[in-house]
Amino acid sequence: MSSTKGITESITAALIGNPNVGKTEIFNRLTGLSQRVGNFPGVTVEKKAGKFTHQGRVVDVVDLPGTYSLTAKALDELVARDFIVEEKPDVVVDIVDGTSLERNLYLTFLLMELDANLVVALNRWDMVKARKIDVDLDRLSELLGAPIVTTVATTGEGMAELKSAIIKASQLERKQKAALDYGDEVEAGIKSISSIINEKRDLFGKYPQRWLAIKLIERDERVLDMAKSILSGPQMTRIAEVIGHE
Amino acid sequence: MSEFAEDLSVILAQKRYERISEIMGLAVKKEGESVRTYTDMLDRVFLNRYLGIPIFLTFLWVMFQFSFTVSEPFVVLIEKTFEILGSFVEQSIADPYLVSFVSTGIIGGLGSVLVFVPPIFALFLALSILEDSGYMARAAFVMDRFMYRLGLHGRSFIPLMIGFGCNVPAIMAARSMDSEKDRMITILVSPLMSCSARLPVYVLIAGAVFGSAHAGTAIFFIYALGIVLVILVAQLLRKTLFKGEQSPFVLELPTYAMPKAGSALLHMWMRGKMFLKKAGTIIFGAAILVWFLSVHPWEATAGGQLIAESYIAWMGHALEPLFKPFGWDWMTAVALLFGIVAKEVVVGTYGVLLGVDEGTLGESLVANGMFTPLTGFAFMAFVLVYVPCFAVLATIVRETNSFRWPAFVLVFQVALAFLVSGVIIVLGRLMGMS
Repeated sequence: MSSTKGITESITAALIGNPNVGKTEIFNRLTGLSQRVGNFPGVTVEKKAGKFTHQGRVVDVVDLPGTYSLTAKALDELVARDFIVEEKPDVVVDIVDGTSLERNLYLTFLLMELDANLVVALNRWDMVKARKIDVDLDRLSELLGAPIVTTVATTGEGMAELKSAIIKASQLERKQKAALDYGDEVEAGIKSISSIINEKRDLFGKYPQRWLAIKLIERDERVLDMAKSILSGPQMTRIAEVIGHE
Repeated sequence: MSEFAEDLSVILAQKRYERISEIMGLAVKKEGESVRTYTDMLDRVFLNRYLGIPIFLTFLWVMFQFSFTVSEPFVVLIEKTFEILGSFVEQSIADPYLVSFVSTGIIGGLGSVLVFVPPIFALFLALSILEDSGYMARAAFVMDRFMYRLGLHGRSFIPLMIGFGCNVPAIMAARSMDSEKDRMITILVSPLMSCSARLPVYVLIAGAVFGSAHAGTAIFFIYALGIVLVILVAQLLRKTLFKGEQSPFVLELPTYAMPKAGSALLHMWMRGKMFLKKAGTIIFGAAILVWFLSVHPWEATAGGQLIAESYIAWMGHALEPLFKPFGWDWMTAVALLFGIVAKEVVVGTYGVLLGVDEGTLGESLVANGMFTPLTGFAFMAFVLVYVPCFAVLATIVRETNSFRWPAFVLVFQVALAFLVSGVIIVLGRLMGMS
């Protein structure tokens, strides 16, 4: 989707992850800024930004709020998803707690649906090893369709590799990610909603079409409101037939 | 039709989880799952159904005791410095107006606030250590069970804990709450959490009327009072303005970590810096205003000698009837008035009005018969509740996008302050205190 960046342009990378995965620490490590580190969900609601230079490239880093999902229900989740959609950062670094991969991957899937150009940072790698959890990194990377870097935020291990991965990912042409197959029933719903959205495609701005359809099925308040303001009455009725009346 | 639709959104989530476990199965193998970690062991104690809350309260109490013990030598150092500075100014400046401005306005007003830098920094240090160690999330967890029964949302406890430092970030942290009702309740009760700006007032009054041995305990009770009020008011709000179910509480408990000195000190500095900044701007400005009003009209006050003839005394006497039943005089009335700007100004105002060194400010409050232990404690409670400071009101305006809610908070808290202090005075007198 985004084109290859010239060597002189700066790269924008957004950091995202569940709360308490060490995201703020990684942000501090990357940018060298000394910011508050805490376990409170509110800490990173404000947009924090910094930058680093690596391999001669300047990378602007934005710290997004720590969230478990990207619904319209909580303000900080909205902040995060709006940033990814509207600002279109060149790279989105999904920071994942390697010791609770299963729970963390949910957000990773949501990010994939947002067409984010992902780099997965598998943090707490020291604890993953200490707990004898055996992660097949190549396989995981292949399954997620994103490069994976292992990091230990507390010691700074893996930061240089993460920086390189960010730069490398920003230079690659963003390829269409293998979308998660939701099964015939849902896919049929996504397809018919997508075709309705497509009738007014321009008005939906930068939001990925498939994502919009999924969000409408999930009855996301924001996307529903947006659809109501853009689509005609009959079009909304057709969507309502798929997602059901409220 | 709607049944079918229900299924669709459920299927979406289901498929995601299915795919995740599929990936987990393909790429991850766990061997040492049954390893019992320190975290598990500590949590068995800290999250214990019966011990959890007592342990939390103990930590809180230790935190305050620590803050005052550690900071004492630094307080003495600052007091001495300002004492020397004050006498130096009086000797070296001839013009009486300038002497009054510098020694009473600047040194008196600002100095009386600056002596509270050490205890505030020490408290921030203690808070940072609790946070970095991973205990703070447990505190929220432990309190959730308790708060759930009281109709409060567990997630609101985290912003409220931030409120111990400053109510402004506490109110902003409420953004992370899922339900709008829970968020509004949290915003509206947050100002009742005893922020660090109120600490100088407590330290002054508690130190004066209870002595250094019991000051920490008295202050602990004020903080506890704040928590109790938060819970009561939240319950009231949920039953009246924000009726409805609370959303479920999900909180991740991080693994315990040994707090690192460097990062704890850094946090202390980041938070403490805000206090210093405030002392240099708002509090300084208010102190100058108080000084100006206390020495003018210049002739009538005989060059600032007769504060009783000043504008400020006039204002104080006008307000005094309101506070007379509580046993507080006109100086307290004025101090409370200016405290609306920022609570530390209460202390600065006393500094200017009494025209004494910070070190002896507490003593002269008692010597002037302004506070007994009972009226002093009631005053501390009043300062806890009576108004959010300007910055907090501005934040509520921004976060609720209205002027109605900050106005509500203002009126409500003033009324509540009179009620709470009134109850303390009445109960105390019934028990035979004066």
